[in-house]
Amino acid sequence: MTGGHRRILVVEDDPETAGQIVESLKTSGYQVDLATSGHEALSRGGAGDYAVITIDRMLPDIDGIAVMRQLRDDGIAAPVLIVSALGEVDDRVRGLRAGGDDYLVKPFSFVELLARVEALGRRSDTIVKETILRVGDLALDLMSRTASRRGKDIVLFPREFQLLEYLVRNEGRVVSRAMLLQHVWDLHFDPSTNIIDVYVGRVRRKVDDQQAYPLIHTVRGVGYSLRAPG
Amino acid sequence: MSGTLSVLLAKTLTSSTFKQALIAIGTFGIIVSALFVYVYLSTSSYVRGRSDRGIMTEYSSLQGAYERSGRDGLIAGIQQRIADGNLASNVYLVADPSLVALAGNLREWPPTATAASGWIEFRASEALPNAANRPLLRAMLHTFPSGDRLLVGRDISDLDSFADQIRIAMFSVAVLLFVVAGVASILVTRRTVGRIESINATSRAIMQSGLDQRIPLRGTHDEWDRVAENLNLMLDRIETLMGEVKQVSDNVAHDLRTPLTRMRGRLEKAYHGQRIGEDDQALIGDTIADLDAVLRIFSSLTRIAQIETQARKGAFRTVNLVEIVGEVVELYDAAAEQEGTRLTVVGDREVMVTGDRDLIFDAIANLVDNAIKHGRTGGQIVVATENIDGKPVISIADDGPGIPAHEYEQVFKRFYRLEQSRYTPGNGLGLSLVAAVAHLHGARIEMLDNSPGLRLKLWFSAPIH
Repeated sequence: MTGGHRRILVVEDDPETAGQIVESLKTSGYQVDLATSGHEALSRGGAGDYAVITIDRMLPDIDGIAVMRQLRDDGIAAPVLIVSALGEVDDRVRGLRAGGDDYLVKPFSFVELLARVEALGRRSDTIVKETILRVGDLALDLMSRTASRRGKDIVLFPREFQLLEYLVRNEGRVVSRAMLLQHVWDLHFDPSTNIIDVYVGRVRRKVDDQQAYPLIHTVRGVGYSLRAPG
Repeated sequence: MSGTLSVLLAKTLTSSTFKQALIAIGTFGIIVSALFVYVYLSTSSYVRGRSDRGIMTEYSSLQGAYERSGRDGLIAGIQQRIADGNLASNVYLVADPSLVALAGNLREWPPTATAASGWIEFRASEALPNAANRPLLRAMLHTFPSGDRLLVGRDISDLDSFADQIRIAMFSVAVLLFVVAGVASILVTRRTVGRIESINATSRAIMQSGLDQRIPLRGTHDEWDRVAENLNLMLDRIETLMGEVKQVSDNVAHDLRTPLTRMRGRLEKAYHGQRIGEDDQALIGDTIADLDAVLRIFSSLTRIAQIETQARKGAFRTVNLVEIVGEVVELYDAAAEQEGTRLTVVGDREVMVTGDRDLIFDAIANLVDNAIKHGRTGGQIVVATENIDGKPVISIADDGPGIPAHEYEQVFKRFYRLEQSRYTPGNGLGLSLVAAVAHLHGARIEMLDNSPGLRLKLWFSAPIH
């Protein structure tokens, strides 16, 4: 996520929420365009080259999903994050099936929104096909599905490896609990307890215990971030 | 198809209409039989009475002859009567005190006629003119003071066959009546059962897959069609109301979330603001956490309501419970480990059900989560998936304090929490969701004492292929 490709189109009809989204995205260094209706979204979306488009499901004129379909039909390939007050699985599935890339339920935390936009933006960058991922002294071998630090193997269950791989692929970025559930477990549900924290805690012990420096960091109120110091 | 027919027949035979028809036929039969018996008895006694009066007339006239002219007069009278041939079916016999036949158209004194006087019925020892072989005779006996004996009688074979004919006629009519009534009641009952069955089938379909079904009309404009029409109107009304409720709750969901989104946005902005002190930040952080908890409850309630409206049957597929359980257990493995609880999976390799994978996952996840939270620290949780008598069953058993039996029903109510778990995290909606998912899948929940602990079983129905 470097270079000039940091333009985001936000489609949101509520002025205050729109203002808050735009502000938080701008603070994070994005260029943001705002569309407050479906028609405006279609004209802006068709004209500009956006890294990510966020669309509210309920717009005053055209349904958000219809807007997204139209954009897709017009050949706009930018990843779409659907934002909606309709949080139920059916709506979520419908949104994703209609061509959405991710789904966020209102109300959301802006950190979560940022994390999602970051992750989506990365998808539109070129994805490098590597077989070994490295962060600091951690190495993940994607072929043999093994992890090691300073050449010393870390024993991980398959799911633990997947979790670590997801964190490594999002190195330096914040990853929310919901994103982990979605991308590591392929689950769209809201666990009432802190199972994700417990799970990450176990991986963290295996990865970070008795090492020179920790790699997995807790981001209060949101989730986790994997990064090497310096 | 023959299976359906035999089911329909079985339903016909056990239906209340058929039982009522049987009672009616029974009552009717008793009345008809009583009537027939009365008609038979009165007819036959009338006919017999007439015959007896004829015999009595002959007897008194012959007795008169005896009193006037003695034995010879009697014999003459008898011989004249026989010669006349008018009363060919009559029999006469005079015998001396030692029962030697003196005159008459019977060859010998009947051995059964031992009484001095009175009525007797007997079969003749020989054929008589104008009568069948050895006819049945009814006769009046009399012993004169001299010891001479007189027998005046009549061939009653005709009478007897007349009675037989009446009996046969009545019996045939009765049998015919019963057969016709029986067949008619089976036909009527089957028609009734068929109509009721179509209403029942629709009701079951509605309970299983939602309100879009209607009871078919036959276009006969009879009372059944009217019942079906009214039920369909009622269903239309319910469907409209439920649609409105859903619309309203969707609107509420949307209208509530917009201000809540703004609110959360402001709080978050304040939280990340530079000017505030640490105390304020903690305060705001706690407020955000509480707001999220409220939103989670709100979202759970909407979700349960949505599952209960059965709107999700479209996502039903045949899924393997064992795989879902595997994923749940894997997800909760770390949480169990943290509690020192051993989480094990046992059972068959393949337990297929027809259902919504995500919802079943959610339900099992809630149950495993409960078992970890409310079970014993350092205890054991066993999740078993089995096919029992062709039914897919999943059971989750812990060895914690369990639930008192009188609270088994209560725990599925929304926001219900046991006294003992008042301070355990949770919102009292997990089991309501489990109940809603179970209901959507037509699954039965069974709670058992695992002594110690709770064993909760979900009985699914066999998968639809």
